[in-house]
Amino acid sequence: MAAPAAGPVRAVPAAGPVRAVPLLDRDGADGAPRTTVRIDADERVFPGHYPGFPIFPGVCVVELVHRSALATAPAPGARVTLRAVESTRFLSPVFPGDRLTVELKWTRREGHWRCEAVAATDRGRAATVRLRFTEGSTPC
Amino acid sequence: MSETTAPAVLELENLRRTVADVLDVEETELTDEADFVNDLGVDSLMALEVMVVLEKKYGVKLGESELKEVTCLRKAYDLLDAKLTAA
Amino acid sequence: MLTTTGIKRVLPHRYPMLLVDRVTELVPEERLTALKAVTCNEPWYEGLAEDADDEGHGYPQTLLVESWCQAAGVLAAWDKPNPDVLSGQVMLFGSISDVVLHRPVYPGDVLEHRVRLVRALSDTVIFEGEALVGGETVMEVGRVVMAMRPAAELTAAREQSPAAQPAGVQ
Repeated sequence: MAAPAAGPVRAVPAAGPVRAVPLLDRDGADGAPRTTVRIDADERVFPGHYPGFPIFPGVCVVELVHRSALATAPAPGARVTLRAVESTRFLSPVFPGDRLTVELKWTRREGHWRCEAVAATDRGRAATVRLRFTEGSTPC
Repeated sequence: MSETTAPAVLELENLRRTVADVLDVEETELTDEADFVNDLGVDSLMALEVMVVLEKKYGVKLGESELKEVTCLRKAYDLLDAKLTAA
Repeated sequence: MLTTTGIKRVLPHRYPMLLVDRVTELVPEERLTALKAVTCNEPWYEGLAEDADDEGHGYPQTLLVESWCQAAGVLAAWDKPNPDVLSGQVMLFGSISDVVLHRPVYPGDVLEHRVRLVRALSDTVIFEGEALVGGETVMEVGRVVMAMRPAAELTAAREQSPAAQPAGVQ
């Protein structure tokens, strides 16, 4: 897998709800691929989610898992596109200043790829996420 | 999951596959007697979700108390079987 | 029918994370239809590369899910509004399942969220539905589970987060 060993992972798309870019911590050569990212207090979503009580939205945890998946996709070179959020369980809240680690497992299924991830803060598991990707970028 | 498909026929292995998928566990782990919460580490929210999925799949209506009684696959099968034969 | 002001009485979400513009149909304990207009001027497009193609302007998929879930949130809480997350009961996401993304959504599209209540239990609500653009389904939502939890549970969790620690305060 040709993913860079470390350093900021230029995950596409640049825009999107979260500014933070997951850094590739372990590229899967020696154990499950893992990324880490710090949730800064100046993330765009916090002023509105919620005023006076910033909580990192659950879907933004899914977004960081999504970006981590794109950065560790097993189909070298081929772009993979998110087709479904098969299941996501939100286990504990994520707050400004938290460091989120995402550990991923890719498996080949008939006609698509499944990415199972566990996102955790220092306080423990924040969410489990199971995503479905297909190769190529054309919408089905 | 459209409303129009006919309810599925109750069959243990098919039920095991459905429940394992909702609980996100391997089918091999989901033995007939494995307790959802204590053995499989399923949270109460997820156990409830399983029953709501089964209600829709088999076209039966379960009361809140009945929902909470089902803590393993065997109990799910027996409750559904009772509901389907009674209907 | 609820305008944005009506939605703000029910949901605690505010700019830029208030992703439901208008409720056009609300049948309590049953279903709801809501609209969200997508524009190229939303904050998520800030910083997008200048050479981004049409597809690059696709609305963030996770925010399609968030927008639909906020519509479901209005159906869940419209009769017990709590726009202040610090007191009383707070509605927390439990889980999201079988969300299928059929096609990208672009600036200029108007999302029509259809939400149906599958089951309401003492402190848990389960929804399903879909989002359409121009009458065509762009996203299906298999199941979203929301749980009502005391606000204290959230504030207690925050006490252990870095941001709350005196040393950690930026």
